[in-house]
Parts: sequence; structure tokens; C-alpha cells
Amino acid sequence: MKTKCIHNDLIFYLDNELSVEKKIAVEKHLEECADCRGFLAFLKEGIQIIDREKKPEVSPFFYTRLSARLDEKSETQAQSQWVRLAQPAFFSFVLLAGIYGGLKLGSNASSPKINQQVTSSVQMLNDFAAEPIESFLLDGL
Amino acid sequence: MDEAQLIKGIQQGDRKSFHILVETYQRMVVNTCLGIVHNKADAEDLAQDVFLEIFRTAENFRGDAKLSTWLYRIATNRSLNLIRNNKRKRFFQSIEETFIGGRNRTSEISENRADQPDQNITDQQRSDMLHRAMDRLPEKQRIAFTLNKYEELPYQQIAEVMEISLASVESLIHRAKKNLQEQLLDCYKKKCV
Ligand SMILES: [Zn+2]
Repeated sequence: MKTKCIHNDLIFYLDNELSVEKKIAVEKHLEECADCRGFLAFLKEGIQIIDREKKPEVSPFFYTRLSARLDEKSETQAQSQWVRLAQPAFFSFVLLAGIYGGLKLGSNASSPKINQQVTSSVQMLNDFAAEPIESFLLDGL
Repeated sequence: MDEAQLIKGIQQGDRKSFHILVETYQRMVVNTCLGIVHNKADAEDLAQDVFLEIFRTAENFRGDAKLSTWLYRIATNRSLNLIRNNKRKRFFQSIEETFIGGRNRTSEISENRADQPDQNITDQQRSDMLHRAMDRLPEKQRIAFTLNKYEELPYQQIAEVMEISLASVESLIHRAKKNLQEQLLDCYKKKCV
């Protein structure tokens, strides 16, 4: 009588990971089952792909390419470092220049304004003096 | 030059030490990436990124792990990141294709295949089948399986790279093989190759 199919043991059979008893049982079944023999051959061919494709020759220009990338990287890094330092310095300068300019403008602009305020209040005082208070109130009506 | 001297040199920005490190480990790193991304050009690009990262972050290397362990860790992380990004891109592409209509990828693949001789069709199909099956593995299973099959690393070193226990590595590789076997059996039954 044919024993039960052993599809699930075959990958371990190929890798020689079965116990002695199990290995004997698998081999016995393989003798009598063409389907399992077929799958074993299929599995073996599939797994053998790994042996064929692994450890390929590396391109002879591997290091040359890598070295160029390293140079490129350190250059851009140096550049970005310069930019990193220069950018805040530039913006600080612009900010300080702005503040200074603002102060300077402010101080220039504020002096005539104060004068103007003084004159206008003087004028108002003068107006009060010139006009009687009753007519000023009546004008509002 | 031993490992410690090499690292010290790189930490001081010495290009000669870096060159030696790259020459020593480039094949290992490319192979690891290849096992995950299945494309040599992508694997070499990724390996370049790995070495650039090593050069940039050499001062962080504490020396309590082996240099190769550190390289494997960066290589697997970067490869997984590429796959995640590609998946995301494909997702958005498929949305775009659904709504706007785009180029048909299957016809592109068959056009490429048309240039190759008959013998290579089955080889290529078999390799596509295996890659598809590997790509369907959960990330941790895929990493453990790749390190074991492509780099032939012992379980102990895989445990160090992945920062997990030896028992976890055993379990991950066992489940990876079971999953692959299931997928290949499915393919065998449906005669997909
Ligand atoms: Zn059978």
C-alpha cells in the first residue's frame, strides 16, 4: 500500500535536516510515488537558482563610482556647511541693518512730529484765547 | 591591517582604509542585497549606499560587534527599505493605471523575454518564480533565509545581525522554508512554469 505523500518534508530532505527515521521513510515513499519525485525535482531546480545567482562578480568600477560619490557628497556637504553658516549670518546682518535703519528713520521722523504736536497744541490754546467759549460751544450745535 | 585599524582609519577620514574595507567586503554586501532585491544593478547601488553610510557614521561604530555584522545589518535594512518604497510606488502606479490608464507591465515583460533564447525562458521563469515566492515571505523570514542561503551564515551570526535569539532564527528559517515549499508546491500543481 502507498504511504501518505510527503510534499511537506521535501525541502528539509533536500537540506538534509530530517531525522534518520524520517529520511528513510521519505526515501521509501519517493521510490513508489512519481508525483513526489516530480515535486522533489521541481523544488531542487527552484532552490538551485540561489546557488547559480549568488555571489556575482562586482562591477570593476564599483570603488571608482563610490569614490566619486564620496567626493561629490563631501563637496556638497562643505557647500551646505558654508551655506549653513553664511545664511544665518546674512539674515542677522539684514535684520540688524533693518533695525538700525528703522531706528535712524524713526529718530529722523519723530523730531518734526513732536514739533508739529507742540505747535498744534499751541495753536489750539491760541484759538481758545481768540474765541469766546460760548461761540465755540454754539458752533457744535 | 586588522579590523580595528581599518575602522580607526575610516573614523579619521582615511580614504586608503576605506578603499581596503570596500575591496574586502563589496562582494559580501552586494550579494546580501541581491538576495533581497534580486537585481544586480539595484544590489550594487544599495551596496554603494551601505559603504557611504559606513564612511559617514564610522564614529558610531563601537567595536563590540564584528564589522561584517554591522555591514549585514545596514545592507538588509537598506534593501528592505528599497522594497517597501517600490511597493508603495507600484501601489500608486496601479491606482494611476486603474483611473487614468497606463502602460501594461505584463506586455513589457514578455517583450523583454522575446529577446532571449528559448533555454533561458525556462531558467528565467524558474528564477522569477523563486523570487516571487521569496518576496512573499514576511520580512524577518526573508532576511534570515537570505543570510543563510546567499551568505551561508551560521544561525548564531544571523542572530547577531538581526539582534534576536538563536531559537528565533531557527524558527524563522524553518517557517521560511515551509512557506517557500508551499508556494512552490502550488506552482508545481498549477504548472505555473
Ligand atoms: Zn507522494
